[in-house]
Amino acid sequence: MRTNLTTLLGGAVSALALSGAALAQEDVTITVWSIDGANQVGPSDTFSADFNELDNGITIDYRVLQFDEIVNETLRAYATGNAPDIVSLDNPDFALFSSRGAFLDITDMVAESDVINPDVYFEGPLNSVMWDGRLYGVGKYTDTIGVFYNADMLEEAGLEPPQTWAEFEAAARAMADPENGVYGATLSARGNEEGTFQFLPVIQMSGGSYENVNTEGAREWLTMVKGMIDDGVMSQDVLTLGQWDSTGTFNSGDAAMAISGPWEIDRMVEDADFDWGVTLLPTFEEGDERSSALGGFNLGILSTTEHPEEAFQVLEYFVSQDHRLFPEFGYLPTRGDIELPESGIPEKDAALAVFQEQLQYAQPRGPHPDWQQISKAIYDAEQAALTGQMTPDEALSQAQATIDGILN
Amino acid sequence: MRRILSSITDGKGFDLVLVGVTMIFLLALAGLPLVYNVLLSFQEVDMFNLAAFQRPWAGLENYREVISQPEFGLVMKNTGIFVFGSIAGQFVLGFALAIFFMVKFPFASTIRGVFLVSWVMPGLVVGAIWGLILAGDYGVLNAILQSLGIIDGTVFWKSDPRLSIWAVTIANIWLGLAFNMMLLSVGLAAIPRDLYEAAELDGANGLQRFATITVPMMRSTIGAVLALGLIYTLQQFDLFPAITEGGPANSSTVAQYWAWQWSFRIFDFAKGATVSVMMLIFVLVASIVYVWSTRAEVRG
Repeated sequence: MRTNLTTLLGGAVSALALSGAALAQEDVTITVWSIDGANQVGPSDTFSADFNELDNGITIDYRVLQFDEIVNETLRAYATGNAPDIVSLDNPDFALFSSRGAFLDITDMVAESDVINPDVYFEGPLNSVMWDGRLYGVGKYTDTIGVFYNADMLEEAGLEPPQTWAEFEAAARAMADPENGVYGATLSARGNEEGTFQFLPVIQMSGGSYENVNTEGAREWLTMVKGMIDDGVMSQDVLTLGQWDSTGTFNSGDAAMAISGPWEIDRMVEDADFDWGVTLLPTFEEGDERSSALGGFNLGILSTTEHPEEAFQVLEYFVSQDHRLFPEFGYLPTRGDIELPESGIPEKDAALAVFQEQLQYAQPRGPHPDWQQISKAIYDAEQAALTGQMTPDEALSQAQATIDGILN
Repeated sequence: MRRILSSITDGKGFDLVLVGVTMIFLLALAGLPLVYNVLLSFQEVDMFNLAAFQRPWAGLENYREVISQPEFGLVMKNTGIFVFGSIAGQFVLGFALAIFFMVKFPFASTIRGVFLVSWVMPGLVVGAIWGLILAGDYGVLNAILQSLGIIDGTVFWKSDPRLSIWAVTIANIWLGLAFNMMLLSVGLAAIPRDLYEAAELDGANGLQRFATITVPMMRSTIGAVLALGLIYTLQQFDLFPAITEGGPANSSTVAQYWAWQWSFRIFDFAKGATVSVMMLIFVLVASIVYVWSTRAEVRG
């Protein structure tokens, strides 16, 4: 019995020693934070699991965060020295970190990489990961906005899909049917990032930018939308509805057009019992410069990482899986060199072709480290003008003054 | 040694330990954060010095900037409407209900208990439900009012800048109603019945009895209810993100929601702290009223 115990103990000790030795050459752990997997399966969680199966000496420790928390949580983790190695952020939040050197400058690593080639990326997503001419990350997936239209109603009114804002208004007014609770159009002018997301393209296509918001076109557009709300062509609820809920009214046939993005397509295929289509975001005059919003997430390596080489390998792996983004998750890649396979649903394929064209005109919000403050000035102005608290000129002048204070 | 020990298990020492634990708890979990918050409001805070204690001193700069924001006046006005509207609504309706349930009828106390459900429900749930009730195009309230023929078109409770702050106030009145009713019921029950009987014999009518017996006898309860109402209303946050998100155009943004926006939406933690410190002054006034009105309770 006694010998037995000694042997057992000896065995246990040597086992411990062995596992100690194994620990010494154990995998490098790379922590990845993203919102993928919070509501539905997404690329980052799937690719992390696949990467771990490769068993190549690097293990990904993946953590899911909620959309509302990821910036706060990363800020706090960075400030207290517990930051992850890789984090995935919404593109306008990216500059908050890259501008302060919180993201690792990967320009030189990318130059030597066989997997990541900056030249194939769309200009908008690429700009959102650049700061001061240096590269701080890669785009994960992207989206943009266009105009969904109810083809049945449009045909009934004898109209073509609108190409200018004037046509957009005319079509909305023609199709609105207040008696039956049908609005002519819907969009999101909500008092948060979604409002800026949809309003900034209007500023940009009329010659402005986030640095210069008080353009004639922006004033005209606000007057037009205010008029439509006042006349009941558009619901006053566009001021509080997010894009998902706003487009929900389109799907149920209660709005003839909706401004929103490709994330709506799958639900629309299910819910909408009418023919629908997508057209590019209108311009002011035919042939004018186009613009649209740039959505989507980026991936970056935090500068505090202890394993920059391994973290970069993980990044390369994620990028090498870009061809799976669309077939598996319905996300659009941020680069132009990936063919999207046809889904076999004609409306869906037609819509995606439009959104891919629209992506060429998509411009990032910022990049600016104080983007959230700039964005608030922009959506506050939109809301002040649309509620009639201020004239479009007063609202945009006030936003301009606030933005000037932030930029200088 | 033994004397100290025995005093701790049984005597003055025991009292001191009890008070001491409470004091340490209060200082660590309420005192320190409070001081830290005040300190934050005088500093420049960004993501790099978030964890540091030594930060650039900003003096009164944060206060100047918060006050010079274009929405400052609107936020203060909204806070005023929300606080006084909520307290007035909760108190008047709560008092009416409390008096109603003092009347003896079958199941009076059971029904009164059911009212507490609103107080038990989480604010976010209450907010989500009121969000559906007050929705514009497909709202429950609009459907009811339209079918009764009271309104013709659609009333955008949440999206109309003239109504949005009232939409949240209505939800908050409902939420706080039960709490007010319960405290006031307790106060009412403590008034001796014979006072009313004597007054009745002297020929005082209902209104006179209410004004000369009920109200004076309830003074300390009323003070406490109003002060607690002010505190609960100023810390009411959940309803705002759930119903209006402070919009449209900040027309329903109140100080506590604004402070949160500064800190966790714009990441300017110092400005968030500044707004909280400004609110602290209001809460301080309420606390003084509360302490003063309950000074007659628990002595000895």
